[in-house]
Amino acid sequence: MTGWLGAVTSTDHKRIGLTLGVCSLFYFLLGGVFALLMRTQLAQSNMQFVSDNSYNELFTMHGSTMIYLFVTPMAIAMAIYLVPLQIGATRLSAPRLCLAGMWTWLCGGLVMQQGWFASGGAGRTGWSSYAPLSNGTNTPGVGQDLWVVGVILAAAGMLVMAACVVATVARRRAPGMSLLRMPVFTWTALVSMLMVVGAFPMLVVVMVLLYIDRHGGHIFTGFEGAIDYQDLFWFFGHPVVYVMFFPYLGAAAEAIAVNAHKRWFGYIAFVASIMAFAALSMAVWSHHMYVTGGVTNQYFAFTSTALLVPAGIEYFDMIGTLIGGSIVLRTSMLFALAFFLQFLIGGLSGIFVASPVLDYQAYGTYIIVAHFHYTLFAGSIFGFFAGVYHWFPKITGAVLRERLGKLQLLVMVVGTNMTFFPMFFLGNDGMPRRVSRYPTHPGWGTLNEIETIGAGVIALGVLTFLINVFVSLRRRVPAGDDPWLGHTLEWATTSPPPPLNFEAPLPPIRSYAPLLDLREAEMDRARRPAEVPAS
Amino acid sequence: MQVWSPVGAIQGLIDTRTEYDHLFSIYVPIAIGVFVLIVVLVLAAVLIYRRRPPERAARWHEHNPLEGTYAVLLACVAGFLLYLTFTAEHKVDTVANQEHPSVVIRVSASKWEWAFSYPAYGFTVRSGVVGRQPLVVPAGEAVRFEITSLDVIHSFWIPALRYKHDAIPGSTQIATLVFRRGVFPGQCAEFCGLRHADMIFTAQAVSPAAFATWARSRGTAAAP
Repeated sequence: MTGWLGAVTSTDHKRIGLTLGVCSLFYFLLGGVFALLMRTQLAQSNMQFVSDNSYNELFTMHGSTMIYLFVTPMAIAMAIYLVPLQIGATRLSAPRLCLAGMWTWLCGGLVMQQGWFASGGAGRTGWSSYAPLSNGTNTPGVGQDLWVVGVILAAAGMLVMAACVVATVARRRAPGMSLLRMPVFTWTALVSMLMVVGAFPMLVVVMVLLYIDRHGGHIFTGFEGAIDYQDLFWFFGHPVVYVMFFPYLGAAAEAIAVNAHKRWFGYIAFVASIMAFAALSMAVWSHHMYVTGGVTNQYFAFTSTALLVPAGIEYFDMIGTLIGGSIVLRTSMLFALAFFLQFLIGGLSGIFVASPVLDYQAYGTYIIVAHFHYTLFAGSIFGFFAGVYHWFPKITGAVLRERLGKLQLLVMVVGTNMTFFPMFFLGNDGMPRRVSRYPTHPGWGTLNEIETIGAGVIALGVLTFLINVFVSLRRRVPAGDDPWLGHTLEWATTSPPPPLNFEAPLPPIRSYAPLLDLREAEMDRARRPAEVPAS
Repeated sequence: MQVWSPVGAIQGLIDTRTEYDHLFSIYVPIAIGVFVLIVVLVLAAVLIYRRRPPERAARWHEHNPLEGTYAVLLACVAGFLLYLTFTAEHKVDTVANQEHPSVVIRVSASKWEWAFSYPAYGFTVRSGVVGRQPLVVPAGEAVRFEITSLDVIHSFWIPALRYKHDAIPGSTQIATLVFRRGVFPGQCAEFCGLRHADMIFTAQAVSPAAFATWARSRGTAAAP
């Protein structure tokens, strides 16, 4: 089936992944509009651009839209589209279930956004919606209920989709594709999806409990109730942070390896490090709760600081891949390098806030806002764009314009650092997050103005990207099957791939870079003509 | 550096600000050093290995002993940072249990105001949407805060002290803090609903003698 009906009903993983990705991108633009409205309100102290209530709705819906409806589902979309191709599978396991998950997620997003039309407004207690602030007494109204139900549906949908990817990796790898021959992106996607499977049931449970609490259940009451909510929420809420990181790390890693014409360095160490990372990520959640007095701070400081070991290995491998390579600075490569360097600021500030004594100051301030935007925006979103420029030709059959791509990169790097770097100073100087107004304080006005201008610059960068997509699809430059000398199996089929992914027989799979193996064998034959027997 | 005031009275007390500044002065330079190192390595690698023909790309792709050594090195860095953090945290959290504070102040947070009551003197000052009565404390002495909330979670934060503690309904938690002389803004650091931004207060740390005078006048006169 083709056209709209095909997009709605097809069980082809490429269709599901593409629909999920395009819907996520729509939510990205929506969440970006919320961010621009917030930054306008914060441009100067005591602005009256939006009301206090509207501001609270905006920051809640910005965070919720970006986390539940863009960065996480986009990671899943990339996994659904790319993993079967990379492991040489013809289709996804349980594709109907996956499709149902996609629609459940999409409905969840629409339910959440309907809160804007409810009296009293949309969800307005933050993306983490701490009890007892989020209970029926303190935040009554249909908008907050719609937020809770929306999160339940979105989380359940993503859980199902992630399970389908895990099952596909378990059951549908091509002959020869052992686990330790899976491409780097597939490994990062698999580990992410395992974290979704491990952590998202908790989100569904805690949101169902919150719904009951809001309607007379009185579950999260008193000190224990408040602490319990945070424990349950962050047991989901911290793993999801790495779900929103790994697939973009994998995308950046693939872009770097291919653009360096060299296979990813330290594969085994990398796989071990992301597995250790994922395991630790399930044991760090209460570093969000150092100032509550309700958790054992030392334990969570230990696990959180220990994360620097696997994270450091990933950087080591990235540099090891560059050294000795033959580097082409395409847009995908530049985005991937920007991902690693900008994420580093987020990662290093993460080690900082993992220390309870430092977090006693940083918690709840713009230091935290700066930290997670450096990981999620300056990191993951740049990794996402690296992936887009890398795989767009495979998905559409046309390459994106390089000049517009480099312009987008430049604009986005400037805008991102203008927006998020000053936040470190503001937070250290005492500006709390989630305030719609702030007192006049020396320096704060200037820093906030710079941030607001930076947000506008980011918007221009995103606009450049949309123009690039439009132009590149309108006046197509055909990509061919393998425009970048790819390493992995998705480049061994047509662009876009046929319904069952591969028409020609698969090349032999003897490593995590089977196409590079072929090229290297080819080069060896070309270099040794004399050794060929004369007969 | 500001001078302690009065110098003799703070001996044996642990100052949250000093502990934070000490850790900050170790964590942040290490972070900046690591950032610069990696940026330089990446830029150098890109410049050196640019535009070589693909055939010249090296084929080596693994060095497990090197990676293992590197991982051990990273673990040592993590261990060093944790040692510093645990030492500082032990001090800061022990402050919370100081046995002999010179004054006890009960902090009751509610939407959207702070009520600071002085049980020894029998009065309460309030700040937030209701107005701006200052929280007055004696400088250089241990001040014990008993923090609670009447409705949702708030967070008692004085940025200049580099310390905050949540105010959670159903519990009373202790934070014993030491102030240098001066005027410090404070505010709620946990989102608490519609007028969270207005939940601000001012802490005035004055000499113990001035504090005693002020407290005996039961806060009816303007703060010194």
